[in-house]
Parts: sequence; structure tokens; C-alpha cells
Amino acid sequence: MTQLQGSTTTGPGSQSPAPSVRQPTFQWAGGPAIPILSVVIALLLGAVFVLATGNDPVAAYAALFQGAFGSPYDITETIVSTIPLVLTGLSVAIAFRTGLFNIGAQGQLLVGALAAGWAGSQFASLPGPILMPIVILFGIGGGAFYGGIVGVLKALRGVNEVITTIMLNYTIVFVMHWLLQAGPMTAQNALGTPASTPIGAGARLPVILPNEVVVFSRLHAGLFLAAAAVAVFWFLLWRTPLGYRLRAVGLGPRAAAQAGIDPRRHMILVMVIAGGFAGLGGMIEVSGLFGRVYDGFASSYGFDAIAVALLGKNSPLGIVAAALLFGAFVHGGAYMQSHANISSNLVAIIQALVLFVIAAEALVRSLVGRRRGRKPVEAIA
Amino acid sequence: MTIEMLLGASVLAATLRLATPIALAALGGVVTERGGVTNIALEACMLVGAFFGIVAADRSRNIWIALAVALLAGLAVAALHAYASITLRSDQIVSGMALNILALGLTTYLDYQLYGTTGTPPDLPALPDLQLGFLTGVPYVGDVLGAQNSVVWLMLLLVLVLQVFLFRTVIGLRLRAVGEHPRAAETVGIRVRRVRYAAVLASGALAAIGGAYLSLGVAHSFTDGMTGGRGFIGLAAMIFGRWTPVGALAASLIFGYGNALSTSLQGATIGGARVPVQLLGTLPYILTIFAVAGFVGRSRPPAADGVPYETEGHA
Repeated sequence: MTQLQGSTTTGPGSQSPAPSVRQPTFQWAGGPAIPILSVVIALLLGAVFVLATGNDPVAAYAALFQGAFGSPYDITETIVSTIPLVLTGLSVAIAFRTGLFNIGAQGQLLVGALAAGWAGSQFASLPGPILMPIVILFGIGGGAFYGGIVGVLKALRGVNEVITTIMLNYTIVFVMHWLLQAGPMTAQNALGTPASTPIGAGARLPVILPNEVVVFSRLHAGLFLAAAAVAVFWFLLWRTPLGYRLRAVGLGPRAAAQAGIDPRRHMILVMVIAGGFAGLGGMIEVSGLFGRVYDGFASSYGFDAIAVALLGKNSPLGIVAAALLFGAFVHGGAYMQSHANISSNLVAIIQALVLFVIAAEALVRSLVGRRRGRKPVEAIA
Repeated sequence: MTIEMLLGASVLAATLRLATPIALAALGGVVTERGGVTNIALEACMLVGAFFGIVAADRSRNIWIALAVALLAGLAVAALHAYASITLRSDQIVSGMALNILALGLTTYLDYQLYGTTGTPPDLPALPDLQLGFLTGVPYVGDVLGAQNSVVWLMLLLVLVLQVFLFRTVIGLRLRAVGEHPRAAETVGIRVRRVRYAAVLASGALAAIGGAYLSLGVAHSFTDGMTGGRGFIGLAAMIFGRWTPVGALAASLIFGYGNALSTSLQGATIGGARVPVQLLGTLPYILTIFAVAGFVGRSRPPAADGVPYETEGHA
């Protein structure tokens, strides 16, 4: 599909041109003005839509906000929904930084969840201090493996990562059906939704707020893992030579190759890392919330992640803010449906509008009245 | 496991039935990508076609109006994608993702609003089956082809028409030129943007027919997200079929067959072991990965596929 052949790089010593990377479309200059404006435009369009379908937009948005932040419990639930979005957002963002479009965070998250779920039940009897690191490593490793496939095919066979990630997203859905319905991981006594056998107590991430603070809160220690991942993302990209090279490939593979950076190697590396972030997200869901893998549990965290990364401009704080916004949508949407009788799918519509407005960046830019930003970067590439 | 489960007439009839929506999406993909625009919003076009077709059937009680509305819905989504990708030169993947999420949210929202939790009404007008009387009684063939839906035949016709159109007509040549080398095409006077708009709109219409077939032809109802990724399987069929209509049909039939098997082999055993039917679902995706990676023949997209075009002097 996109830019499969548009080769730009012939590194020293390489025989065939390296696969192209995406032009740095999404590395916007400037502060948060455009992302915030994008969200505002999307909310306004959403309001028009609510009005057009005979509902009250003020009531809808009030209920959405109330549902997301109305009580200490709701705030913790919003954060619970935010955590996986941060991890998948980091996954998509680090690939973007290297010029690759990782649509596969969803699949990588699922593989991470399955790997973590398998390890967590296989070694269930181990004590927590030993089991927990194992489960974390399996989660990261599962996602990294699945992302790595994409990187290898891109680097060695020139296969567009958009194609492979779409295909791998669907592949794992069916593998998951098999594993959890009639395969080696299927729980014998599971009622209703197919699920894996439960993970051991030592593999569970503890709830971090006692009942005296917030009653029945599910907010778990995955919050710390997510925070650590954000720190790693920042440190890796801006404080290590590897991160510098990854960003150089993203800004212009030809220039990077001239400087002695092998774009292919870094494409593989970044997809392994991206998959690792998403896989950790899957592990956190299993260990922090469910204690086992449910078939089809992760709704759309990997797809929302694309909007999270783009809205957050692929920067650590931006991703956290965007993930919080989308986490609030996820949790607040259910409340809106039950209290304002407006389908929680309004949230999906607003998310899609945010994404579309970001895609139609030129339009937003002309609204803001500045057209600079992309040109200097293109000059390098 | 028996031969009947693998090659029975009902399995082949199901193959054709299941391949039809995939093939229609794949044809849409072939047309738009031959013109140089990636459209992963085919799934969205299918879904709005399926939904608004049902709504129109409910309101008008006329199947032709329903089909026309389904087409218009698909065209509307495609028009948004065309505007974003061709006029605004946005990222085509992001635009497509946005439209997929939008279509799912929109149809589910409106489904809830219009039909609540009761579901769409029964006794809606349906896309008719084509009873081929002369095949009745012909063993096997009659059972496979004798009573297929009219859209199945429409799909087969479209495959032929598009194959001829793309490779045997001047307009088809121009479309391919725009997808391979838009600058050269423009130099000889082809209006690149206009051709691309037409191609994207056509892809939306084709996918919408596939969606309408699912709701108005097969299910006679709408359920949320009922296209279930068939737009993406269509993209896989397009790639596996090497961006040609006939190839896309062949790929769709293979994928449809895998799909049919996963039903017919339900509960079947080989040497006492259950056949893992769920894994058959991975077939389209794994085959496609092999195809693009060049392990089973090389699948190459049009050269300018997915690359926004800027007219001379504009860049």
C-alpha cells in the first residue's frame, strides 16, 4: 500500500536501497495549540451531531465529565482505563519517531497479554518477587516478538508495515479464539466468556489504594509500570545514542545512512521496542484487572493508541495527556449512556473526529493561521 | 472428517456466499489503489452501506431505494476519504482509521437511537435470490449455483467488467497511469485528481454493495459491527490477488472457502483430535503476509500507491 517501494536510502555498503520510512508527517512544530484545537473542533462537531439526533449536547457532555471525574472512584477508574492507552500510545509513538506506522499495537498488546497469562498460570506457585518479573518479561517479550516480525519483514523484505500490522492484528484474534476456546490455555471451568486458566497470586498487581481511601477502587500498581514506561520512552529517545539514531532514521533515512546509521537495523529494533511497550500494556491488563486472559478483552486500546500518539505529538507528556482524555472518554461514556440515555458510542464518534481532524491537519493549520512547521523537516528528508 | 465436510455442495455454496462481500471490498480496493490512493476505510463504507441500507428498507419498504441509500452512504464516506487524501493530502492511513472508527461509532449510536435494544424490525424487503430453474435437479451444480443471491452474480459480473475495464480500455489505462506515475500521466493531459476522486468514490460504492449484501441479502437485519473486518479481508484479497479483479476474486474464494470450512468442520476430528477450526480464520492474513513478503510469488502495489500528488508548481 503506502510507500512500499519509494526507496530513499542507499547506505554505505548496502546493496539494495533500504525500505523507505514515512515522511515525518506527525512531528509537528509548536506547542499544544493545534492538538487542543483539534479536540475542541471534534467536541463541537460531536455536539452538532448530538443536537441533530435530537439529544441535548450539554447534558451529554456534562454526563460524560461527571462519569469520568465525578467521584474519587470514577477518577481512579478513568486512570485504570488510561494505563493501557499510555502503553499502546508509547508503542505507536516510538514507531512514528522512527518513521514507521505501527497499526499493530492492538495485536502486540494481545500477544503480550497471552504470554503473560500463560506464564502467570504456568508458574503460578512461584512467590511474587520471582513470578512478577517473569510475567512482566513474558508480556514485554510477547509484544516485542510480534512487533519484531513486522520490523524484520519491513527491513529485509521491504514489506509495508501497515499491511503486516493489519494482518497480524487479525491473525492473533483468531489464534486467541483457539487458545482460549479449545486450545492449550483454555480454562476447564470457565463459564460464559472463554478465558485462560487464572494466573497465580504472585502474578497479580496489587491494588494501590486501600478501601479507607477509595472504596472498591481497582487502581493497581500497573500505574507505576506505566509511569516507568513513560520515563524509559523519554530517556531512550532523548538521552541515549540509540534514541538519537532512531530519531535520525525517522527524520530522514538517507541522511541517517550517510551518517553511518543503518536504517534497516533500527527499523527492526524500533518495532521490537514498540511491541514491548504494547505487550507490557497487555500484561498490565491481565495482572492488574482480570487475573486471567478473557477472549477479546482489550476492545480497542491498540487502535485508540494511534489517536493518542498523534494527539500527544509523540511526546511523553503529550501521550499521557491524550491517554487521560481518551481514558476519560472510555469510562465516562458508560455513565453517559446510563444517565443521559445517549449511546456511549458518541465517545467513539468524538474519537474518530479527533483523528480525522488531525489527519486534516492542513485544514486546522489554516484555521490557526500558520502554515510553517513541516517544510524545514521535509528539506532534510 | 468426511469428504462431504470438505467438498460438499453446501460447503461450496457457502464459499461463494462468504466470498461475495470480501470480493466486493477487494474490487473496491483494486480500483482505488490502481489509481494511487490507499483506502483502508473500505470497512467503514461496508458498514454504513449495511446500516443505512437497512434503515432505508425499513422506512421505504422498497429494496431498490434501500440499495440506492446504501450506495450513497458508501459514497459519502469515500468522499470524505477522497477529500482528506487527495485535496488536503492528509495521511491516508490516519484518515482511513478515523473513518473506520467513525462508521462503527455512528452506526452503533444510530442503531441504539433508532432501534434501541430490540434490534432492527423483521420482514424487511430483501435483495432477492436468483432461482435458476434450469439448474434445478442438476446434481451438485444446481445445489451450488441454483439459488444464490442476486448480488453474488452481480459480483461475478463486476469482476469481469473491471478486469476488462482496467486492462483493455483507455480509461482503465489512464487510471493505472495515475497510480503508477501521476506526474507522467498529468504531462499527457490526464486530470490526476479527478481520476483519483472517481476511483476512491467507486471503491466506496463497491464496498457499500458488499455491506448491503450482508444486511439486506443475507442477515435481513443489522447488528452492530456486523461487517466484522471483511473490509480488511478485502484488502488482503486485493493484495493476495496482486491488484487485479480476477486475482482478487480468486483470493476471495480461497478466503471464503476457509471461512466455510470453519463452519463445516465444527466438531470434526482427525485421528481423534478436534480440528482447530478457529485457526482457519487466520488463513487470509497469513497467506497475505507470505504474499507480500515474496514467499509465494511477489505481490507489488502500484508505484504511486498512497503517495499524495501535488501538481506542478504547487510543490
